[in-house]
Amino acid sequence: MDELIIANRRFTSRLLIGTGKFSSSKVMAEAVEAAGAQIVTVALRRIDITNQNDDMLAAIDRSKYLLLPNTSGARTADEAVRLSRLARAATGINWVKLEVTPDPYYLLPDPVETLKAAEILVKEGFVVLPYINADPILSKKLQDVGTATVMPLASPIGSNQGLKTRAAIEIIIEQANVPVVVDAGLGLPSHAAEAMEMGADAVLVNTAIATAAEPAKMAHAFKLAVEAGRTAFLSGAAAESKKANASSPLTGFLRNE
Amino acid sequence: MMRVLKINGQEKTFPDGKIPATIADLLQQLRVDAATVVAELDGQIIERANFSNTSLRAGQSIELVRFVPGG
Amino acid sequence: MTMTITAQHIDIKKILADRGLDGCGRDIWTKRLGDITPAEVEWALSRQPGYYVLDRLLILVSPAAENYLEQMAQLSHQLTLQRFGKTVRLYAPLYLSNFCVNDCVYCGFNKSHDFPRIRLTIEQAVAEADVIAKEGFKDLLLVSSEDRSFISVDYLCELAGKLRPKFSSLSVEIYQMNTEEYAKLFASGIEGVTLYQETYDRDTYSKYHPAGPKADYDYRLSAPESMAQAGMREIGIGALLGLDNWRLETLALAEHAHYLMKRYWQSRVSFSFPRLRPAKDVDRSQFNLLSDKNLVQMILALRLCFADAGLTISTREPAHLRDHLVKLGITRMSAGSKTNPGGYSGSTGSVEQFEIDDKRTPAQIAAMLKSQGLEPVWKDWDSAFSETSPIGGPAFTRA
Repeated sequence: MDELIIANRRFTSRLLIGTGKFSSSKVMAEAVEAAGAQIVTVALRRIDITNQNDDMLAAIDRSKYLLLPNTSGARTADEAVRLSRLARAATGINWVKLEVTPDPYYLLPDPVETLKAAEILVKEGFVVLPYINADPILSKKLQDVGTATVMPLASPIGSNQGLKTRAAIEIIIEQANVPVVVDAGLGLPSHAAEAMEMGADAVLVNTAIATAAEPAKMAHAFKLAVEAGRTAFLSGAAAESKKANASSPLTGFLRNE
Repeated sequence: MMRVLKINGQEKTFPDGKIPATIADLLQQLRVDAATVVAELDGQIIERANFSNTSLRAGQSIELVRFVPGG
Repeated sequence: MTMTITAQHIDIKKILADRGLDGCGRDIWTKRLGDITPAEVEWALSRQPGYYVLDRLLILVSPAAENYLEQMAQLSHQLTLQRFGKTVRLYAPLYLSNFCVNDCVYCGFNKSHDFPRIRLTIEQAVAEADVIAKEGFKDLLLVSSEDRSFISVDYLCELAGKLRPKFSSLSVEIYQMNTEEYAKLFASGIEGVTLYQETYDRDTYSKYHPAGPKADYDYRLSAPESMAQAGMREIGIGALLGLDNWRLETLALAEHAHYLMKRYWQSRVSFSFPRLRPAKDVDRSQFNLLSDKNLVQMILALRLCFADAGLTISTREPAHLRDHLVKLGITRMSAGSKTNPGGYSGSTGSVEQFEIDDKRTPAQIAAMLKSQGLEPVWKDWDSAFSETSPIGGPAFTRA
């Protein structure tokens, strides 16, 4: 059975879903179901005490899905650590998607603060899934401090541009000792398939599904794409080969043997 | 007498001079479902199990946070 | 400096055992090698080169792949060119002692062999080094048999201190040590260590290493990891080709390299290809000597799986072969080597570890490289970065 294993927990789905940007909790729940996802990310925010909102997450059956809190909103390591502790207090689960994004335009993650927070959180017993730019060295450093995965972005959050960081992600996958989850910027199912064909262990998709005309249908498409890409990877696809230009023979000297 | 609590960064005055005795009471007053909320009192996280026996005093700062949709 | 290991730490001993590459699975692997078809070789060669996957290496070292050496060579040449450019590094070995406490069956320095043994004092070693430096070398490899009582860690550190100002790169090829000892060497200015497992097959290992500290297979196997943990920048590994089945050795060697590369990403791993050579008092008939074709196949297969590994060839190999190998993926070679202690300054009669075949001078080797459009690189580091300060400490922190 080809399972995704993160921190000793086993999953059959390699498609993680973000719950943001949906038009309603009903649509969101349908999309999560259609995606066949098992891990679903959520954020933490102050409640609005003047207005009792719908609890959008009531629609998610917590027994079916692993809720993965993210630390979105954190701009520093300290804020991320604080949010993580709050999240753990809320659910008793110590998994956290570490997201430290001081840049409000592209929401690009801060490598320095992320590494700092990761080190603290791992020591406190958290299972840390860090969201990062596609930086192979940073990936190795995070693995050295003990994160459970690395989550490099394909392109900025919400940009739907696909695998702009492809070359760097290839290196990350080659060098990784933990699962690699490509997160952010996957705009089409074909992008997700491409990531899986490259050898990514999983992908995380939010905007492309939430903002589609029919989110549940799009979620289903992503599900199929992730499975197709993974199957292709396992079947040993022949990648493009760098065929050498014909030049003078290099092993002619062996013919005398 | 006025009693003030800082809730989620904003000062709230309790006009009849009585701030809620415990966090559980505060949540009840605000009509917030305790099951979905995490509380941080003066920077310390309070476990949900302790909401009913954690008392509040004037001048304290409380953060009430819950899970919302996010990517 | 020690490296933090991630929680999911499975060591190389377990990996080799699980894969059957320490001898327990040799029949299975031998059969799998024999079963490889030409179609599989063509598939393996169609994939992007430079990525390590055990199954693909299996195909590349198989008998079936022998008919594809030219294609492998072209790919290897291109890949090496892309990663290393048109350069080959040159280094010289400096043998410090031929006293030995081990009894390795294949070695000229075996403790049972009777011949006058020589150890170089620090001063003598420096004198040898000066001769080497005059030839233009900046990259020096200090070699010794297991003569721990004399060629001790302290000796090596003291020698390194004296040699640091003369050479940009100091490495050692000496008996297995632990992390603490390697860390001392690193602090003294030695940045690379070469150590061959000789053979990854446990039974073969016992057969050829009957006595002495080297008889401990596990300790030997753990040494490259200790080097990495101590912060060594360059780690050289290899198998002594001819002791056992070279195809199986290559698989185990690759697993070892892959293990080190994944966990110690700040160190560079290199492969060497010591092929058994005539040595005094050693009976050659007991070995499985490799043909040139086998050696070439091994070099090509490893290059096609490890785009960034260094591939080193010494003067054990004949000149004409080395001239061809530099186009096939080799990135570092020795020149003008003397494998007898004191050999450079003309010390008489001391016994060589193995016979040198390529006897050309460094200048001649450099000329050969140039004639092939390759530039000989004498030093890989800017010495300004690594020189010790006048007071004696490192110019930058090695922590």
